[in-house]
Amino acid sequence: MKQKAAIIFILLTGLISCRKDETNFDGPGIVDIYSDFKIIENFDADKDSVNFANNETVLFSAKFSKIVKWQIAIKGKVSKATKIFNGESKAINITNGLWNGSTTNYPIFGIENCTASLTLNAIPDTFNIDVKVTSPKKIDGFIIADFENGLNPQWPKFIQSGANMDFKVKTDSLAPEGKKYMNMAGTVNWDYLIGLIDFPAQAYNSNVTFPLLPNPGAVYFNCLIYGVPNTNPSIVLFQLKEDENSDGTFNANNEDEYDLQINVDWEGWKLVSVKYEDIVTLVNGVPATPKGNGIRNPDKLGKISMLHLADPNNGFASTKIDMIVITDNKPLEP
Amino acid sequence: MIMNKKLLMLLILFVASNYVSAQKERKVNFIGGARSVNTGNILTVNDSIADSTTVKKNNGGYTLIDLGLNIKPNKNTEILGMFRIRNEYGGFWGAGVNFDVRQLWIKGVVANSLRYQLGDLDLKQTQFTLYNAHADRIDSLPTIFNLQNDIVKYERFYFDRNTWRMQGANVDFGFTFAKYISEINFNAFVARVNATDFANTPDRLMAGLKVNLVGNKIFQLSYNGNSVFDVKGTVANNNVFKNSVNSLDLKLQKNIGKQNLLVQAEAGKSKYFYSNDTLAPTYDDYFIHAFALFDLPKMHLQISAGYLNVGPDFRSIGAQSKDVNYNAQPAYFNRYTNAQQIRPLALFDIISNENIYNRTITARQMSESQIYNNVLPFGLATFNRIGMYAKVEYKSKKEISINAEYYNLSEIRGQGSLALKQFSIYKMNANFPINKLINSTKVLSVQIGGNMQQTIRSSEQEIEKIDLQSMQLSAGLRWEFASNFELLGGYISQENDGNEYKADRNSYDVITYFNPVNYKIKQQLVAGGLRYNFTSKIYLCGLYQQSTFTDKLKTTADFGINQFGLIFNMTF
Repeated sequence: MKQKAAIIFILLTGLISCRKDETNFDGPGIVDIYSDFKIIENFDADKDSVNFANNETVLFSAKFSKIVKWQIAIKGKVSKATKIFNGESKAINITNGLWNGSTTNYPIFGIENCTASLTLNAIPDTFNIDVKVTSPKKIDGFIIADFENGLNPQWPKFIQSGANMDFKVKTDSLAPEGKKYMNMAGTVNWDYLIGLIDFPAQAYNSNVTFPLLPNPGAVYFNCLIYGVPNTNPSIVLFQLKEDENSDGTFNANNEDEYDLQINVDWEGWKLVSVKYEDIVTLVNGVPATPKGNGIRNPDKLGKISMLHLADPNNGFASTKIDMIVITDNKPLEP
Repeated sequence: MIMNKKLLMLLILFVASNYVSAQKERKVNFIGGARSVNTGNILTVNDSIADSTTVKKNNGGYTLIDLGLNIKPNKNTEILGMFRIRNEYGGFWGAGVNFDVRQLWIKGVVANSLRYQLGDLDLKQTQFTLYNAHADRIDSLPTIFNLQNDIVKYERFYFDRNTWRMQGANVDFGFTFAKYISEINFNAFVARVNATDFANTPDRLMAGLKVNLVGNKIFQLSYNGNSVFDVKGTVANNNVFKNSVNSLDLKLQKNIGKQNLLVQAEAGKSKYFYSNDTLAPTYDDYFIHAFALFDLPKMHLQISAGYLNVGPDFRSIGAQSKDVNYNAQPAYFNRYTNAQQIRPLALFDIISNENIYNRTITARQMSESQIYNNVLPFGLATFNRIGMYAKVEYKSKKEISINAEYYNLSEIRGQGSLALKQFSIYKMNANFPINKLINSTKVLSVQIGGNMQQTIRSSEQEIEKIDLQSMQLSAGLRWEFASNFELLGGYISQENDGNEYKADRNSYDVITYFNPVNYKIKQQLVAGGLRYNFTSKIYLCGLYQQSTFTDKLKTTADFGINQFGLIFNMTF
């Protein structure tokens, strides 16, 4: 009996001694939340000019006496592009204030002067810093189309002969990247299809497939789409056609097609990024079983078809598209 | 049409069971119960602006019958199927009528050695692995309030032994030995915590294992394992959740003269994580609970003292699920005042409102109530507690019972501060069966209870200081003034005074903010009633109760609810 009790005592003592002294606490500090606010270190940037194309970054920093909600809004003086950082912390540092040239509201930043403005919910003041972008961020990924050279003659296209058709590359201030974008507009009152463009792999290289990673979990399909205010709803449908037998043609009866249907229900430019493995086969907008091997093989992608669709009963529909890019391992961050 | 088919099926079962039960060996038994509850409720609101928006009267009730068929097709198999027909007052053969299956299980013995049960299960392990602690329950609830509280327990399957009602499969088997150890018993179960929706919610199961080694009359050692886990592949997302708890439980029992000494200790570890979510926290911690109980039969006393150490990151879904859901809506008068604020849950709701009680465990950390239990909201399995407790229990031959408990606990890790909260509980409950003292056969008993809790955090920073006290008092009377006629009375008061911080938690239950809360609340519940007992299992009772909720800080508007109720209840 005594021996057993001794064993228990030793075991319990051993377990108790396992616990480390608690030097932290759960949650934010109550003093941080409820004490008076002071700026301990002023808002600052580690450089006043930056070359994002060389992978340079701008580090914004500040320190406060307590946790506050803050926002840094960086605005391009020419492009009007903006990058927004939101946070709730005692400090702005490398974990929450590092700018790599990416954009929140399009167009993307160009070579221009920018102003970074810090606002805090604790005080009404705004703190500004100027930063010059000497070279904008590079697009890191396989570019399917940025329309800067117009429509490639190797991209087959079909445009309905409807009314007010405006299905062409445009050059104006609406371009979110570079100077050009694809405009897709028109009235087709007998069909959903307004127009389509095929992007075959052979238009880019001599191979029958795009040079993509085989893992569908590591491949992202991205594009920028513009929702035109006060127009009828548009649908942009991307058909990803896999050439599973690598014969240079897509056979709809025995090869996989995965479909990304985007209902353009917003206004302005928006980045759409979808992981390849999350794209499903659709028939008339309803999920269906693929006709081929049923396995998503990005490395066997042979053709991408882009269709602009709209309900024929609604009349005129319009949208714009730019920067169709496939990226590895993470979504596009323009 | 569907209702007619169900009734026809019930009729066929009834006729078939009569036929079968008429055979030599009775193979079918009817069990179940019937109840009728009718209440009239009146709300009074005392706000700075007179409440002209809320409807202040609520009448209603229901009648229900639970009809169970207990079938024993052979000596090794037993089946229970229980149907429920419930009719809301004012509903008839259509709206307001429900026909439901209340419980369904099959159990039996395989080869005279392995017991199994399939379907509905009432499961429990230790207080740290799987346990329905009823942490906020009033220990000495007067009989008159038990009339409604027993309905809550029946509806939510809180029958006894702190079990949770779950659905799955359970097996028990054991071996006996001639030497060294006398037996080893095994218990294992798998139950479904929630079903997949094939989109975002995966199938979540609970698996449990207990291996109990009985050394001899003195010594017992048990291993308890409990794991709640998502089944991979039941949704497209491969991020799966798992919470496992493993413990060893040692029990030593020794007679010292005519006194008995029991020493019991349980220690274990838990792990709580998501497999593929970088934002989700991983919790990994341990607990120790040990106590010694000294039984002094000559003095009718039991004295015990215990040590508790539950780590701040100890997580056990099975033991830390609460029976009360404080985010649920009360049954009557959900909103009040002209601004239609949500009415806070009052003592009245805690005692009698089945809507706010969970039938089974929940996967997320549940909200605790600083009003009803700020010290041990999840029972002894409350994480982040260390300290001691002591209990004294007296029970005389005449069944006078007096219990006293004292807890002195502290946090292990601070909440929003390095300063730690100190907790204490003082409890005392007593029951005096006066009729036993005066040798009367007619019941006359008085019960009283008190529960005082205190939470204090001292700090150099004024803003971090906490001082919250709660005092709960109860008294009850049960008097059988004529044969089978009983007069019932009860009183409960609850006062909360002081300040605390309430934590906001994100979707991973991580604290993101602390909101200061001040309390100066007083609640009272007074009830009186008359009960006629047809038998020990059948009664009819009329009762009247007044409930008041007063907030001196006017954070919430004061209100009162007066209720007249008529309850008929029988079990068979």
